[in-house]
Amino acid sequence: MIGIQRKIWTLTAIVMFIMASIWIMLTYYNQKTQDQYNEILQRYLIMNEVTTASRQTVNALNIYLLTPTEGNLSSLRRGEQQLRDAQSSVGVLRNEENDFALTSYMNLIDSLIETTDRSVMFKSERETEESSKAFAEATRISRYISEMTLQLIDIELNTYERFYRSIIEQAEELKKLGIWILLAITFGLLLFTYWFSLSITRPVQQLTKAAQELAKGKFERQIVVNSSDEISFLATTFERMRVNINNLILEMKEKARLKSELQQSQLLLQESQLRSLQSQINPHFLFNILDTLSKKAFLEGAEETSDLLVSVAGLLRYNLKRLDRAVTLYDEVRVMRQYMEIQSARFTERLNLVTQIDERCLSVQMPGLTLQPIVENAVIHAIEPAEDGGTITVTIADAGDHVTVEIADDGPGMNEEKIIGILEERDMQPEGHSTGIGFGNVVRRLRLFYGISDVIEIHSGQGRGVRVLLKLPKTRRSDTYDKAIDRG
Amino acid sequence: MHKTISLALGSICAIFLFFTMISAIRFVQSAWQPPQLQHREEDRYRLVLVTQDLGTPFWNDVGEGAEAEARRLGANLEVWGTYGEDREDFLKQLEIAIDSKVDGIIVQGMDEDAFDNLTKVKAAFYGIPIITVASDVPMSESMRKTYVGSDALAAGKLIANTLIADMGGEGTVVLMGDQREEYDQRQRVEGIRSVLDRHPGIRIEYVTSSDEEEKIVAATQNVMNYFPNVNAFISVDANLTPAMVQEIGRRSQVEPYHIYSFDDNPDILALLRQGKLDGVIQQSPSEMGETGVRMMMQWLEGETVPLDAEGYLTDIRMLTTEGAQ
Repeated sequence: MIGIQRKIWTLTAIVMFIMASIWIMLTYYNQKTQDQYNEILQRYLIMNEVTTASRQTVNALNIYLLTPTEGNLSSLRRGEQQLRDAQSSVGVLRNEENDFALTSYMNLIDSLIETTDRSVMFKSERETEESSKAFAEATRISRYISEMTLQLIDIELNTYERFYRSIIEQAEELKKLGIWILLAITFGLLLFTYWFSLSITRPVQQLTKAAQELAKGKFERQIVVNSSDEISFLATTFERMRVNINNLILEMKEKARLKSELQQSQLLLQESQLRSLQSQINPHFLFNILDTLSKKAFLEGAEETSDLLVSVAGLLRYNLKRLDRAVTLYDEVRVMRQYMEIQSARFTERLNLVTQIDERCLSVQMPGLTLQPIVENAVIHAIEPAEDGGTITVTIADAGDHVTVEIADDGPGMNEEKIIGILEERDMQPEGHSTGIGFGNVVRRLRLFYGISDVIEIHSGQGRGVRVLLKLPKTRRSDTYDKAIDRG
Repeated sequence: MHKTISLALGSICAIFLFFTMISAIRFVQSAWQPPQLQHREEDRYRLVLVTQDLGTPFWNDVGEGAEAEARRLGANLEVWGTYGEDREDFLKQLEIAIDSKVDGIIVQGMDEDAFDNLTKVKAAFYGIPIITVASDVPMSESMRKTYVGSDALAAGKLIANTLIADMGGEGTVVLMGDQREEYDQRQRVEGIRSVLDRHPGIRIEYVTSSDEEEKIVAATQNVMNYFPNVNAFISVDANLTPAMVQEIGRRSQVEPYHIYSFDDNPDILALLRQGKLDGVIQQSPSEMGETGVRMMMQWLEGETVPLDAEGYLTDIRMLTTEGAQ
């Protein structure tokens, strides 16, 4: 992870480095130029020194010749020594161009010293004429030295001309180079700073946007930040928080859904239990009486009546027992037959039941007391009002992953409004004398039981009878119904 | 947006970097090293050629010949001198050369006491050998080692013989010379006389003048006034020739006169080509320079000791108008 602090340090270090290198370069160049200037000046100064020293020597000689004292002689010797020193320092200036002239120059100095000595010697030997001749010569040589100095300086200028020009040119180039470097560095730094600031602000902007999204309640979008610094750490933490909140919300929603389902089924259960309790008036007493009546009828030879009574008792027992349990289609079909037997006794010829049952489908699980209310509904609406009676057809067939149960009558049919009412699970006022469990109740329980809404279809039209189609899945989606029942 | 800014900044930066590079390269290239210092003097002979007439074609040739030879033999030679026969400066240069303790001096001879004094006393005192070139000075007066140049006597004879051949054995001949009457001029006159004296019909008039133009003109006028029937002019000093020829031309036609001269003046060849001169003694300046340096080196190296005091003579030939065309 490259921290923001490290980035800033890096930027500062680079800037410092560039500035330091430029400074070192300039200092180095300045020093070099200074040295060159010094050297050039030194050369001229050395040459000038020779001229001065030669003049002084001649001057000292003149003074000595006029007043030959020891003091003047020693000052002459000092002058000569000075001249010799200057001569040896001139030797350093030798190069290819001035070789000849410089040798001549140094020899001229030698000649001057020799002539001076000769003059002093003649003076000490009292040969005044010779002495002054030598002095005249020394004076001439001194003048030649001055001229030769000028000549040497001239050669020097010619030799070094290109060098001097190159120094000027280089200074000019340095000025231009400085401007270019300044411009290049300015824009380089601008570019670098732009990238650098972008690498800090872009993740912050991304993070800000993500935070705004979260604030709006959109927890689904993933937070992506392209960075590798502290911001990225922040973003990762933020992302983890988002995922956690998202999970919690989903969990809460699931719980709420489950809770509402549970409450609903409990309500339904209570309602059906209440209804069933209302419908049983001391059932055991009623069973016993029905059994007794059945035996009595059997003993009196009314076997048909006896069977009827047994059916009624079975139906009642089933009604009381099975309301809160999942049962098989087989049980349902059996109860439906018992109910139909009782109804046959009532309607005799008018009721005609046709069944087409695929025995293999009878093991399908379903909520108790669903088939009987539907058939009862058919009987009440299709058979009772019709003088000629009618036919109820029950068809059970295998349809792959589910079993279809079709209950059809040939009565006057049902209007659209009522069908919608049933499918929307609205409770109707029970008509006539039913078991008390309404159609809506059945639909609701079926849907709760299987956890799907597409479990029942009602087809009808004016005068075309009613066809109720149940699609019972062979495997249940969830066991919530059972659990809910158990808890209730 | 970000990309555009980055791209713009990047390209500007690249452009500036490019110019910076170019500038840096130019900066580095403009550095020029000062000439290499030399810590000891070259172990070569230092020779000086001193002349009074720097810049004339004749002396340029002498200088070039000497320099070429010096290069060949590995000696350092410098040509010093004065322009336009500045005698004082010439002597000063000679003295500087002696005081500078050069190894050898090749000098245009000058028949003057100061010159003799410098060469005989001072140069000998420092042990510097002197060779005269082109113009000689007698050995006894200058202590020169040798002379390199034309044989002035032979040149005089050649010019006189040419004159006889052109003019015939009778007539008046004017010899025009410098009033300084230097040694080589005397030699030339002697050569001319030695030939002409054998012809009794020829009358010789020797006229001298200084080298100033008015004086030459005056001298020419005088001689032409005194001897109106003059037939020939021989200019013994080439520096007098142009003014003399001009004056003759102003007075009358140049053609009828036989005019001869020596070649050591820049205007001579032009006059010859124009036909104003009938003949010129052409010397070999380049050869003089070469031989002078060679002889000096031989003496310094100890190969030829002593040098021939009579001198080493270089070629002379007569150049006529036809030959110069």
